[in-house]
Amino acid sequence: MLGYTLRRLAVAVVLLWILSVITFVIYLKVPADPAGFIVDLQHASPAQIAHAHHILGTDRPAVVQYEKYVVRLLHGDLGVSWPTVVFFNGHVQGAAVGHMVWSASLVTGALVFGGFVLLLLVAVPLGTFAATRPRSLVDRLSLGVSVAAISTHPLVVGLLLQLFVGNRWKLLPASGYCTMRQPSAAAIAAWKRFAPTGVPEPCGGAGEWAWHLLLPWLTFALFFVALYMRIVRARMLEVLEEPWVRTARAKGASELHVIRAHALRNAIAPVVTMTAMDAGMAIGIAMYIETVFGLPGLGRTMIRALAGLQGYDLPVILAVTLVAAAAIIVLNLVADLVLIAIDPTVTRRGRGRQRLLGRAA
Amino acid sequence: MGLAETLEARPSEGLRELRPRGQWALAWRRLKRDRVAVGCGVVLLAVVFAVGPGAPLYGKIVGHGPNEFFPYAVSVGLRPAGPFTVTWATPEVAGDNPFALTHPAPPKGTGKTLLLLGADSQLGRDEFLRILYGGRVSLEVAAGAALVAIVIGIVLGAVAGYFGGWADAVISRFTDLVMAFPLLLFLVMIGSLFTHGITDWTVHGLLNQGALQLILIIGAFTWFYPARIVRAQIQSLRHREFVEAAQMVGARDARIMRTHLLPHVLPPLLAYGTLLVATNIMIEVGVTFLGAGIKLPTASWGSLLAQTWGSILSPNPYNPATTQPWLTLCPSIAIFVTVFALNQFGEGLREATDPRSVG
Repeated sequence: MLGYTLRRLAVAVVLLWILSVITFVIYLKVPADPAGFIVDLQHASPAQIAHAHHILGTDRPAVVQYEKYVVRLLHGDLGVSWPTVVFFNGHVQGAAVGHMVWSASLVTGALVFGGFVLLLLVAVPLGTFAATRPRSLVDRLSLGVSVAAISTHPLVVGLLLQLFVGNRWKLLPASGYCTMRQPSAAAIAAWKRFAPTGVPEPCGGAGEWAWHLLLPWLTFALFFVALYMRIVRARMLEVLEEPWVRTARAKGASELHVIRAHALRNAIAPVVTMTAMDAGMAIGIAMYIETVFGLPGLGRTMIRALAGLQGYDLPVILAVTLVAAAAIIVLNLVADLVLIAIDPTVTRRGRGRQRLLGRAA
Repeated sequence: MGLAETLEARPSEGLRELRPRGQWALAWRRLKRDRVAVGCGVVLLAVVFAVGPGAPLYGKIVGHGPNEFFPYAVSVGLRPAGPFTVTWATPEVAGDNPFALTHPAPPKGTGKTLLLLGADSQLGRDEFLRILYGGRVSLEVAAGAALVAIVIGIVLGAVAGYFGGWADAVISRFTDLVMAFPLLLFLVMIGSLFTHGITDWTVHGLLNQGALQLILIIGAFTWFYPARIVRAQIQSLRHREFVEAAQMVGARDARIMRTHLLPHVLPPLLAYGTLLVATNIMIEVGVTFLGAGIKLPTASWGSLLAQTWGSILSPNPYNPATTQPWLTLCPSIAIFVTVFALNQFGEGLREATDPRSVG
């Protein structure tokens, strides 16, 4: 098990390395001058542009740039965001990318984790119910809904929820993000004095945080819920056929007890680990949701770094790509390890997900 | 009369020659029985007709193009007109009084034109026509990317499955590598970084601007699923008797793959390709919405969806007086119907081409 984990981690490091090289190479091929972050390219003298390149470190050969990046990365330094760079007293200063990406991953993490919790809260009871009454109305309805759900774009769900629930009916906040912590009095005072119209009041606290995340969570859950419901149903149907369920029934246990204590526990564990395997897809969908609802998460950070008018913010692009890939790899590894631990018949080569889907189909 | 005479008495020309049905004929027979698949196939044909020859045809009938402005279809309060609007066919509003409560009448002799689903934004373009032309772009990107993915998938999957050894190892590792990528993140990155060069290639007007780039990017990152299918299929077939027989009579590897193995691989790939087109439509919509796909003014379903919402750098603030829910609903419905039909049709194809299914 330990050897397996170490081997997988070694592969992961190689993957991340290749990914960073590819990103770097792609960036170098882009016809955009990063000096534009510091000086006005139209009016600056060649010396000023050269100085700007020197500040950003882009005057060195590509290999040296990459080497310096990796060395800094191994020291835990992801660099500074280029649009914020200032040259002051001989020091290069700017917003630390590590900090930016960390706070962004917290937002994405909150979105994805909360979304999965919400969808499991809905999918598990409904899937169980459908399994206990195959071919009932609920069962057939769930099949129809799941077929429709896989054909619905998360952007469509998000935009329609935002437009109708958020904006027109005003049931939930339509966009924006609130931090877990209460905003300071100074921040509110500053907002009252200086903020231009249209900028929302700074908000915070667990209640506001969850309230503002409700629509994004709903969007996320709606996209996955039908799929998970079908999987819970398939797993339940399989487990209910097991001999120990028959034994429990023979003992005279009530149906509710059989399902809750005997069947559900065994049916659910692999489904929970499946959420981790969907991490890659979840991060992609989170990107849509963050964009629509204006959440400062990883996807939106990436898009803003890419959509910049002056140029492309390479340190942020690299950092987000690496963090997202690392998260996907680690979550997949954890899911596989948990699956091996709870189900000895899962081999290390056969992926659990295919097994689950194969049974569900 | 004995048996011999009976047979003699019936000339063999009268007998219907019995030939076994081929796999495609069997699949077609099964597909025809699947009502959902047939319905979805009809819907797909309708969609392809509407966005293919239908778009210019409809443009001719109403007499304008997808990128023409009709400011008379936008109220003074900047609200785009709703469905079934007949508006003045002129790109300019007469008079320049900013305090007017209604638009002044256009000069005499100006014709009128129909906007079936109203105006698309404050620019007053024909929403319906833009959906038709946008569907053309989205479908050509999706189908082209699926084609690229399947061609790469067949070649690499066949090589990996047939030869095994290091070719298999390299291709499998490569597949694992691509599968671990945060795909969408990467697509958006490449899409927004490359805004020049290949975006202007249209293959002699066959494709829309920017479509080729998207086709190549999406195709380059989705080939590994077809490759896995082909590889698994060929691996399971390559030691069967008919392959060994072919090898024994001296057939070359290329011939074995082409005439003996490929026919087994194509039917499931066809079904998978249909599902891939559906996925690719979703990807195109997403990437264009995020500002990394088809560039304006060319319409695509992604940019139509983003029209009301705004763009990444400047999302439009919600204003109940100027927002038309139609403009979000219509492209949404178009995307949903097409993707749904593709998914269901692909599912039907998969069932029909599966030799294990009955019927």
